[in-house]
Amino acid sequence: MRLPRPLENLIDQLSKLPTIGPKTAQRLALYILKMPGGEVKELAQSILDARFMVYPCPICGNLTDKSPCIICQDEERDRSLLCVVEEASDILAIERTGYNGRYYVLNRTFRLMEDGDLTDIDTENFQQMLQPIVQEVILAMNPTIDGEVISRYLHTIVEEKGIKVTRLAHGLPVGGDIEYADEITLRQALEGRKEI
Amino acid sequence: MQLQTLQIRNFRNLVNIDYQAGSSLNVLVGNNAQGKTNFLEAIYLLSTGKSFRTALDEDLIQYNAGQYKIYSQYQMKERKLSSLLYYKRAGGKSFFINNKEAPFTHSDRLRVVLFHPDDLFLVKGPPSGRRAFLDFVLRQLSLEYQFYLENYNKILRKRNFYLKNEQTKSKSFSIINEVFVEQASRVMMQRIQFTSILDEICGPLYRAFSQEKNHLRIRYAISFPVKSDKINLDILQNAMMDDIKNRQEKERTRKTSLVGPHLDDLHFYQDDRLARIYASQGQQRNIAVTLKLAELHSYKRIGGEYPLFLLDEVLAELDKKRRTLLLEYLKDAAFQTFLTSVAWEGIDQLPGTVFAVQEGNLIRREFS
Ligand SMILES: [Zn+2]
Repeated sequence: MRLPRPLENLIDQLSKLPTIGPKTAQRLALYILKMPGGEVKELAQSILDARFMVYPCPICGNLTDKSPCIICQDEERDRSLLCVVEEASDILAIERTGYNGRYYVLNRTFRLMEDGDLTDIDTENFQQMLQPIVQEVILAMNPTIDGEVISRYLHTIVEEKGIKVTRLAHGLPVGGDIEYADEITLRQALEGRKEI
Repeated sequence: MQLQTLQIRNFRNLVNIDYQAGSSLNVLVGNNAQGKTNFLEAIYLLSTGKSFRTALDEDLIQYNAGQYKIYSQYQMKERKLSSLLYYKRAGGKSFFINNKEAPFTHSDRLRVVLFHPDDLFLVKGPPSGRRAFLDFVLRQLSLEYQFYLENYNKILRKRNFYLKNEQTKSKSFSIINEVFVEQASRVMMQRIQFTSILDEICGPLYRAFSQEKNHLRIRYAISFPVKSDKINLDILQNAMMDDIKNRQEKERTRKTSLVGPHLDDLHFYQDDRLARIYASQGQQRNIAVTLKLAELHSYKRIGGEYPLFLLDEVLAELDKKRRTLLLEYLKDAAFQTFLTSVAWEGIDQLPGTVFAVQEGNLIRREFS
């Protein structure tokens, strides 16, 4: 049996999303058909808003809807600390540990399994953030081989400026992802950070 | 480790098999293309997630079925476990341990040692076969090794990318080199430690099986010079860095990595003579059989338990004396064996569980 074109379209679009297989896409689509019209409009509008109103902060790379982002605007933040992460979602994990410095988000990071050079990492904004007020740069890359290579590369950049560089202490699950590390482990890794 | 039951559905020509395993020796006899090897392949898949014959799961489904399914119940360190693997034409492969979805690297999965006729060329064949041997065992034994090897392969790939694009004078390339050398040394350390265990186990086994007086020694052969007698991570890393410097020009011309454990080898010596060159074909086969038995014992030594031993058509490749010796050994062994054979010769005398395999069916044979 052929499904009505609009329904088929919706299923196709949903199944393009990560972790959503054809079966789940079908279930979600049929669920949406039964939702009240107002809620569906809100859902569609929130997707559009998120997509077109949220962008990386021009200073630190954090996701924001105003420029600069709330973290960059926050006068209470400790400006002597700068924590570098691979993705904006890592900020949420590190915020939960009580860290109160600033961030730099690499966003498009380097992957060993993709073609490309380390110098493809855009470090121009990063260098801008390395002002004299910064006394310590914390490299909080994922504990993977990719994260290892990126850390070493950024280390050379910060070192040239004569700023102290630290890395998260071991204890994070090897090969894991900071985003999914539990709060206690991550806090311990942050507190036990070592100078390199 | 003991396999207790095995259910196979629509896997190659095995449409519907419910197998109760014998606790020591399980023998499957039949002509070619009747399904003996398919049976071993099914067990192997539960251990590795891959076939040893084809890369395509599509090929493994019985031709007019939509999915295949392999289900096993087994005992591992006193624990009763089950694993299930199925593959659907549209939906891909899924693996479960105790009814919970699991990766193929799960530590509770079945473990096997496969002995295939190709393994008889382990001594004589190219180094890649011996490296694959080491990698296979170590990956089954150590999650850590799996991680290091995966990292090494990634960084090697990237390193070759830089060499190919002639970017070897950049700052990034020297960072890649640092990480490359670190991961390489971890892979090598594990291989070296494992080789020395293998060497210990092989000595007495070889004497018993070959019935020769000469001494078998196994050494891990590093592909770059190491000046020290002692081996540790630092020494390996420094030696490798030196070799990278020495071969800089050559690597630039060839545009690929000429240093690293992807070029290492395993050397077998009979009384200080390299067996690959000096041993007779018969002796080389004896070494290969010894090595496979030592692989089994190394699991016991390191992991605390024997894996399952799968022998595919190996008997036919051995002379009568070795065949008898090997069967005697398997008959009384502390591990569970699954063995296929075309011929009945020597098998009707065995105390194990014997099946005839015909067109995908297993028929139990009783000898009186
Ligand atoms: Zn910002």
